[in-house]
Amino acid sequence: MISFELLVSVTIAVLVAMGVYLVLRARTFPVVLGLSLISYAVNLFLFSMGRLEVGSPPILQDGVEVYTDPLPQALVLTAIVIGFGMTAFSIILAVKAYVELGSDHVDGEEP
Amino acid sequence: MLEWANIIAIVMMTLSLLMNMWRMAAGPRTLDRVVALDTMYINAIALIILFEIYLDSVLYFEAALLIAMMGFVGTVALSKYFLRGDIIE
Amino acid sequence: MTMLLIVLLPFLAIGPVWFAARFSRNASFYVAATTTGLGLGLLASLVPEVMAGNVFVDSWPWIERIGLNIAFRMDGLAMLFCILILGIGLMVVIYAKFYLTEDDPIGPFYAMLMTFMGAMLGVVTSENLLLLAMFWELTSISSFLLIGYWRHLPAARQGARLALMITGSGGLFLLAGVLLLQEITGSLELSVVLASGPQILDHDLYWAALICVLMGAFTKSAQFPFHFWLPNAMTAPTPVSAYLHSATMVKAGVFLLARLHPAMSGSPEWFFLVTGAGLTTLAFAAYVALFKHDLKGLLAYSTISHLGIITACLGMSTKWATIAAVFHIMNHAAFKASLFMSAGIVDHECGTRDARLLSGLRHSMPITFGLATLGALAMGGAPFFNGFLSKEMFFKEAYTLSQAHPYWPDAEYWAWIFPVVATVGGLFSVAYSVRFIHDVFFGPEAHDLPKHPHDPPFGMWLPVAILVAVCVVVGVVPMYTAESFLYATASPVTGYDMPEALHLHWWHGLVPELYMTLVAIAAGIGVYTQWKKIAAIGDKLPTIVGKDFFESFIEMLIEGARALDRLVDNQSLQRYMAYTISFATLAGFMAYIEEGWQSGTGVQTPASLVSLVPVILLIAGAFMTDFFQRKRLVSLIFMSVVGLIVSLMFIYFSAPDLGLTQISVEVVTVLLLLLALFVLPQWNPVESGWLRRSRDILVAASAGIGVGALAWGVMTRQQQTIADYYLAESLPKGGGTNVVNVILVDFRGFDTMGEVSVLALASVGIIVMLTGKKPLYPNQVMPFPEERFPLMLTSVTRVLVPTALLVAFYIFMRGHNLPGGGFIAGLVAVVALAMQFVASGLDWTKGRFKLDLVRLSAIGVLLAVGTGLAAFVWGRPFLTSGMLHLHPPGIGEVHIASAMAFDTGVFLVVVGSLVLIIRRLSRYQQTMEVQDKAGGNE
Repeated sequence: MISFELLVSVTIAVLVAMGVYLVLRARTFPVVLGLSLISYAVNLFLFSMGRLEVGSPPILQDGVEVYTDPLPQALVLTAIVIGFGMTAFSIILAVKAYVELGSDHVDGEEP
Repeated sequence: MLEWANIIAIVMMTLSLLMNMWRMAAGPRTLDRVVALDTMYINAIALIILFEIYLDSVLYFEAALLIAMMGFVGTVALSKYFLRGDIIE
Repeated sequence: MTMLLIVLLPFLAIGPVWFAARFSRNASFYVAATTTGLGLGLLASLVPEVMAGNVFVDSWPWIERIGLNIAFRMDGLAMLFCILILGIGLMVVIYAKFYLTEDDPIGPFYAMLMTFMGAMLGVVTSENLLLLAMFWELTSISSFLLIGYWRHLPAARQGARLALMITGSGGLFLLAGVLLLQEITGSLELSVVLASGPQILDHDLYWAALICVLMGAFTKSAQFPFHFWLPNAMTAPTPVSAYLHSATMVKAGVFLLARLHPAMSGSPEWFFLVTGAGLTTLAFAAYVALFKHDLKGLLAYSTISHLGIITACLGMSTKWATIAAVFHIMNHAAFKASLFMSAGIVDHECGTRDARLLSGLRHSMPITFGLATLGALAMGGAPFFNGFLSKEMFFKEAYTLSQAHPYWPDAEYWAWIFPVVATVGGLFSVAYSVRFIHDVFFGPEAHDLPKHPHDPPFGMWLPVAILVAVCVVVGVVPMYTAESFLYATASPVTGYDMPEALHLHWWHGLVPELYMTLVAIAAGIGVYTQWKKIAAIGDKLPTIVGKDFFESFIEMLIEGARALDRLVDNQSLQRYMAYTISFATLAGFMAYIEEGWQSGTGVQTPASLVSLVPVILLIAGAFMTDFFQRKRLVSLIFMSVVGLIVSLMFIYFSAPDLGLTQISVEVVTVLLLLLALFVLPQWNPVESGWLRRSRDILVAASAGIGVGALAWGVMTRQQQTIADYYLAESLPKGGGTNVVNVILVDFRGFDTMGEVSVLALASVGIIVMLTGKKPLYPNQVMPFPEERFPLMLTSVTRVLVPTALLVAFYIFMRGHNLPGGGFIAGLVAVVALAMQFVASGLDWTKGRFKLDLVRLSAIGVLLAVGTGLAAFVWGRPFLTSGMLHLHPPGIGEVHIASAMAFDTGVFLVVVGSLVLIIRRLSRYQQTMEVQDKAGGNE
């Protein structure tokens, strides 16, 4: 039986693996993409800590009893925004490094 | 009846997503991939609405709205990139 | 209390001595001399008691947990050493005043001398072994400073460094030995350790403790093979050599041996190691001393040799040998210090220390000649001098040992080594003593010396005279002067197991030791008479310089360290990342292996086949991101797919807010990355070999599996949640039904405030970074010559952007009760404005949207903080929210929570920072205006 938990775990695993591979590249741009992928994976992970429920959003309505855990969602929202802030910062760093150093290799100079 | 129509529609949307993915992977030119991406966004909108009908909820419409807008902007940016290279001038 | 004062006094004098040097050299001298004199006085008050056999122990607790107390012990041995330190210290202080020239800064000198004095006093009076180790290290450091006193001489610096390395490492060994002793006896206090002799000897760790302690002692007392730092320490000024490297610091090693003698001696190991080292050193150093041309070098090796005698005596561990050791400590200190000072006088007055150049000085420096001769006679062991007495005792014990050997029954065959080596040592000792006097003072007068030799001022020869007087007096009438003193001082070393009466005569009859002495004297003089021939041979013999061995050893260590460094750390970020990630993954897997990983037993939600598809899409998309990573644009497009699917997942699993945020952030990220990609190269070059790629794949796969397993493990387990509180209180306390939003801006408003500040700061950082050097268009020199602002786009945007802004406002307003809120609204607004930028250009938009964006984000942050502070007005804690109930006409009842103001702040910050970033980056890219024919649609 394939369950959602399995699917989500596989998703997280794949995202982390792909992200780590990119992070280990020699140029700054793939590293930024890799970090992005890893942050997606982490956000999914944190979110799934609240256990997966389909179709019961944490919006209070009359007659609904079951709600998903809102706390991880709030935290992940913060995480998404701050993660974006970091991505923006790092890509600007990459641009600036390229302009100043003339090379976009992660070590700052061509090997 | 509605239920059945819903389920068939969802299945068809899913299939179209798969076909989009294929185009993305195989498209010889990058523009093909961009078009596939845009179509994917639209499929996603449809999928959300259908899903909402299935759940009988009203809370996700704005999600579809936003995906529509975002998809549009993303595609525009990519297209401008192809056109000029410098997106914002 | 007195003991503490004795030890503390020199330390307290450091400051005054240094400071007094500002006024005059004499002032500094007086302070130093007074301090030493005071110390002597305090000591004198304790002497009568100690002579009677009492032992004083004072103790104050310091760091109980590690057993370190400030504890002092005054017994005979400590008293002896204190007299040596303070007495000879006073002599040296006086001597130094006359020795140091005007150029030598005297304040620092006396300050370092005081430090050393205090540290040495601490070593000899310590009752707590850990305290002893501390003071031990302090003596190493102050010795280092004093050796390197003449900083400008490279030889001095090297000598100081060498000394510190050897004695410092010995100190580490000593610390280990002390801790081992603590392990064995359970205490660091000497009273306990000294009483547990048999227990220590039986223990398994005895070997280890012995080795460690001996390493400490041998390095400090320059025993073979650790002796080579002492000759190199002769670059120090002579007062330092006289004080540290003959009388006190090098004696710290033998002091340690003497102190721990009751506790650790009596075993075959002790005997062999200590006596062996002592005898080897004795013979070897005496031999080398004969060939040294530098007077101080000769004296240095002589010191090493005499320390060998003391060590050998302590090794032999019989009663009389121990007494001989303590006696020789006293005697050696007296004559060696005086000889060093004499050598210093010769150096000071003649300008050279080379024995080959000096000769015939007895005419020009009669006083020096007389004093030096007396000292040298004591050193060689001539009768009627104190050196003779202790040497006799040593010879006697060596002979006795060859007759009756306690540690192995049938060693008659080679036990004769002991007296033979002793005699040989004595022989060379006579030889070099004679050489010292004969070469320097006898013979024709030298005329080509740098300076005109004459007798030194009173203050310089007075200390020498005093010390020599002691040598003579003790030598001539030992029974009245030294007997009771020796009895008192040697008692602690033998463990209070002394012979009934201690009679020191200089005539015992025709006993073997007398013969040994006579042989030594005769042969020594004989050797010297053949000096010329021997010297010629000696010059031809290769010299083994211990220092060179040591230096090459250190070189080897450094090379090895560098090679390891090159292997591990080659400044490559990829390598660091690979290591970091692998180790993190490994640590995680270790946890799995140790605790065992099992999936939980919770209920799993079954998935429909349809939901399999987005996951497949995501996996495909992520894989393509990697697969096409060389073409950056394509990679970016696939990442968009990944973002979209993740957003869909959020929506599916009941998190509409998250889904909205995710998709908006995704698109803004793509925008930024596209802007950046224009400046950066479009492709990655082919760089990594297949080996590196396989390694990366391996690392990535293991990381992925690890995290996936973790996620699976958590999701399948039962959950305990605190969410019920939030779900229950969201409406009454927070005033909204969108629980996520209420948590963000109300319950956890503090976190959001921080987050918002982070965004503002990031944008400020980015602005600062994007100043200065501008990029040249890289791969394409200019933008493609297509139309700048396509008409279709511009027209559509005219309608779209206001609508989008309206949608943003709508989402903002309803955020508290339905999916939405400040963040999402802000992001939508940003995307709308970005659209406008893309469609009509920066200048056009700027002309119509005149807002200072930095101010905007600042106002946003202030608004958020202000909302929190406003709660103070009503006397509530920070960020408490309230509710307003309004009844505007025509609309009906409206509930507004104060969190709305907070949300407004958030909105403003998001808009301000992100638009700022986008605009700044776009500006940064523009270097040249492109005048293109098609013209822009302005």
